[in-house]
Amino acid sequence: MTTTSQPVGTGVASPLVAPVVAAREDGRRPRWQRILFVVALVGAAVIFMVPFVWLVSASLRPREYVFAPGFLPTPFAPDNYAQAWQAMPLLTWLFNSVVVGVAAAAATTLSSAWVAFGFAYFRFPGRNLLFGLVLATMMLPFAVTMIPTYLIWNRLGLVDTQVPLWAGNLFGSAFYIFLLRQFFLSLPREYFEAARVDGASYPQLFWKMAFPLIRPALLVAFVFEFKASWTDLIKPLIYLRNEQLYTLPRGLKVILDRFGYGGEQQWEIVLAGSVIATVPMIILFFLAQRHFVEGIATTGRKG
Amino acid sequence: MATTVTPPVPGRRRRTPLARREARWAYLFLAPWIVGFLVFTAGPMIASLWLSFTEYDVINAPRFTGLDNYRQLVSDPQVARSLGNTVYYTALHVPLVMLISLGLALLLKRVGRWQGFFRTVFYLPVMTPAVAVGILFLLLLNTQDGLINRGLALIGIDGPSWTTDPGWVMPGIVLMSLWSLGSTVIIYLAALQNVPRDLYEAADLDGAGPWARFRHVTLPMISGSLFFTLIVNTIASLQMFTEVYTMYFGNRQTQGSFSSDAASFYVIHLFQQAFQFLHMGFASAMAWLLFLIILIITAVQVKLSNRFVYYEGEDR
Amino acid sequence: MSRNLRVTALAGVLTLAISGCGGVGGGGDSGGGDAKGSGALSTMGFGLSDEIAKTRVDAFKKDHPDVQLNITEGAFDEQQFLSAVASGNPPDLVYMDRKLIGTYAKRGSIQPLTDCVKKQHIDLGQYRQAAKDQVTLDGTVYGIPEFSQVRVLYLNEALLKQAGLTADDVNLADWANLPAVNAKLAKVSGGRLSRIGIDPKIPEFLPMWAKANGAEMISADGAKANLTDPKVVEALTTGVKLIQDQGGWGKFKSFRDTFDFFGAENPLAKNQIAAWPMEEWFLNQAAKNSPKAELVVKPFVDRQGKPLTMSNGQAWVTTKGAKNPEAACAFVKQMTATDTWFAAAKARAEARKAANLPFTGVWTGNTAADKKIFDELYQPTGNKRFDDAVATIREAQDIAFAMPASPAGAEFDKAWTEAVNRVLSGQAQPAEALARAQQEATAALDKAAG
Repeated sequence: MTTTSQPVGTGVASPLVAPVVAAREDGRRPRWQRILFVVALVGAAVIFMVPFVWLVSASLRPREYVFAPGFLPTPFAPDNYAQAWQAMPLLTWLFNSVVVGVAAAAATTLSSAWVAFGFAYFRFPGRNLLFGLVLATMMLPFAVTMIPTYLIWNRLGLVDTQVPLWAGNLFGSAFYIFLLRQFFLSLPREYFEAARVDGASYPQLFWKMAFPLIRPALLVAFVFEFKASWTDLIKPLIYLRNEQLYTLPRGLKVILDRFGYGGEQQWEIVLAGSVIATVPMIILFFLAQRHFVEGIATTGRKG
Repeated sequence: MATTVTPPVPGRRRRTPLARREARWAYLFLAPWIVGFLVFTAGPMIASLWLSFTEYDVINAPRFTGLDNYRQLVSDPQVARSLGNTVYYTALHVPLVMLISLGLALLLKRVGRWQGFFRTVFYLPVMTPAVAVGILFLLLLNTQDGLINRGLALIGIDGPSWTTDPGWVMPGIVLMSLWSLGSTVIIYLAALQNVPRDLYEAADLDGAGPWARFRHVTLPMISGSLFFTLIVNTIASLQMFTEVYTMYFGNRQTQGSFSSDAASFYVIHLFQQAFQFLHMGFASAMAWLLFLIILIITAVQVKLSNRFVYYEGEDR
Repeated sequence: MSRNLRVTALAGVLTLAISGCGGVGGGGDSGGGDAKGSGALSTMGFGLSDEIAKTRVDAFKKDHPDVQLNITEGAFDEQQFLSAVASGNPPDLVYMDRKLIGTYAKRGSIQPLTDCVKKQHIDLGQYRQAAKDQVTLDGTVYGIPEFSQVRVLYLNEALLKQAGLTADDVNLADWANLPAVNAKLAKVSGGRLSRIGIDPKIPEFLPMWAKANGAEMISADGAKANLTDPKVVEALTTGVKLIQDQGGWGKFKSFRDTFDFFGAENPLAKNQIAAWPMEEWFLNQAAKNSPKAELVVKPFVDRQGKPLTMSNGQAWVTTKGAKNPEAACAFVKQMTATDTWFAAAKARAEARKAANLPFTGVWTGNTAADKKIFDELYQPTGNKRFDDAVATIREAQDIAFAMPASPAGAEFDKAWTEAVNRVLSGQAQPAEALARAQQEATAALDKAAG
């Protein structure tokens, strides 16, 4: 029942990324401060892990223990996963989610970077007004533009294809334009002006200089949009009718309606499906965020 | 609106051929967004503006009714109530998210090798499916058996009725929303790591204590990120929908319990008007009212922020 | 892009967006085919969740090999349905809660089934009256009912005995005495509610309590709200008192939220609730999970002691603009026909037997089907408590009433449930809350009618 297509709800990414500061100063802090620090950090981490640990644990319990107190999967019922896996073409949906997610994330990252560079580098009449308009597009609730947008895709004959799930991203999206623009602005302008004097064209400035320099931010945008696409239910729900084209959240709705509310409330299977849907995302985030750091290490800081 | 970093545009300069050529290139860079805006955004936006002056049930052709929807908007107590709830939520949620995220980012900044792990941990709730978060929080917030009230009981506090007491429903929702602040943490962390080390060293030479370092070095240097998250989180929380809908409205087993007034958010009310009661015209009017409110709030935030946000690029 | 070009493009997009908004697509071509139907047939809101669904769909496929059936699985979703309707390309059939039908019928997004009933010789007499009331608006039938859910009173006799009571002492006709019975059954100690005495199940069941008091919350044509009727106020006051007496709404609801009616750890087995009205499906779960429980099932009764129950369920509707109304009609006929239901119930009985679980019947909106299922297929389990319960539910099915179809049903429901919630959370008195709900509901109903 999601109706927001913008990743703003939770997605807020980093405009400024820098080398990891080793905890050098720690050496001169008093011991009690260091203990307090570890307690605070670990305590916060435990609190934040609770929902996911609970989710995984509950998905490994038999029906009647799903809502039991405690965080251990006892009794242990791993075949919830087998059931969820067998009940549905999860592999097909997983594949679809990856394809749509990559298309959506790549499209938005490239186009938003291109547009953001335009806003960050150039001085032209109407710039502030246009940028205000970019921000304004985030402000109208999705619920009222949903049907007109649907009608456009319908007119283009693309309903019941996966195209509407990602093609809208080819034109940049406000959130990432705002984000990447901030990032481009942090690059020293003289650097580009020197290249201009050397005869580089504007597209060359973008592709050869600006684009590589903000690689970490691009990765952040890619991951955030991939996550948004990966969890989006409303677009697949309204645009897709053919089960073979479903993405995971749309498939999860089938599982939810079949086993959960509509069936015998077999939450353990619904939860197992949820875990299957979430784990790839976590792996991607974990792998990608190492590259946020590496990206910075290789790019370094200039000036 | 784009006040963050405005390269100095000399007011009296005549437009040179160079400037014109630069402007042409600028529009070329902006072209994808302009095309997308015209095809996929402007159309639906203007369509919804037109619909806000009609009675439209999605099924039959819209019927022009002038300002009726707006008149009803002003007099409808449910609109006022849900707007009040939403503003109340935003006023609680946004500062808390910013404060707690900053605290966590400051902690994370000092972590060495394990930073990747902890970063993933703080981002986990963002990746947990909304349905699971909704179910989990109904359990956690349970008055008699919930983890939260059991914890409060340990320190001798008789916990409130988080899900039924009208005064406590909103704090409960804010509590749930704070779970998913991982992305803001990541931004602040990145911003903190970007603060040049020599600034701290200079501050140390001046004999600055930890608070002075934070106040005069850290805060100004990350003010750009604080500004970004302020704007984006405010826009998002004024449009809060998914989590609350899942928790209080979307469960068909409790069908009929459209829940209490206390959990009624503006966009939830809008959604019900549009899709359950088939008043798409009225919903569109609601959307445009919200649009104007967000526009004004954002403009005020931009204006106020101008005084506090420090930009590295300003002296260019 | 030149200025002119941009303006033209903008205008084009606008026309596209707005012109598309109007009307339900004509759907002029009716897909051809004979009375049995052929060609493609699409559905929305239905899922192949169990053998009951699968058996019946398979039966249709077998008899209609020419029809290419395309089932888009997942429960009914307004956004999915309305965007399809707005684009003029709706599915042929939609499976939805019967209480939604009035709204969509009034707006013309679903078709009257008058022709379908005539051409396919569907015997409307076989469906339950309550179910028919829910799918009929202004005398026209818009949907064919599927399952039929009714409410009965469940009692945990073990708890009654502990309190020195018998099943007859819990007399829902005697409202004045309910608080006393409730006080004996409920367990509130140290500010904690650990056992519910009587659960009135409001807001959900308020219409049933009102009806028991002789009041209809909405007129039979679904056009006039009647929420300020003193009898409705009295029903609400009675229900609210039962909850206030058990520690208040906060404690009551949060205790009830921990219940799991579907598992072995259900509140009946755990002695957490003594008397509660509930849907008939709990009997299935109890038979499966708690066969030893001392369960007694009685009909819900009005204040004269006459059995009374409220029913609801799903229905099939065909959309206006459906490409293949013939096949759609053939499909709903077969899905809800006596023989099809019987075959499905048989599959369920066999599945239950294979899993070594008791079969407690299937409740459909088709009286003939239920008769056949219970006469020919259902076997008493030998456990008298459950067998008596099945008999009670059978009788309840035949006398059930339903909230009539209303063109503003969803808004009407929202108005009175919010009123109940306001009273429960202590924000308003019953009369005051219902008066406000009456205003809201009347405004919505008048608007929908006009």
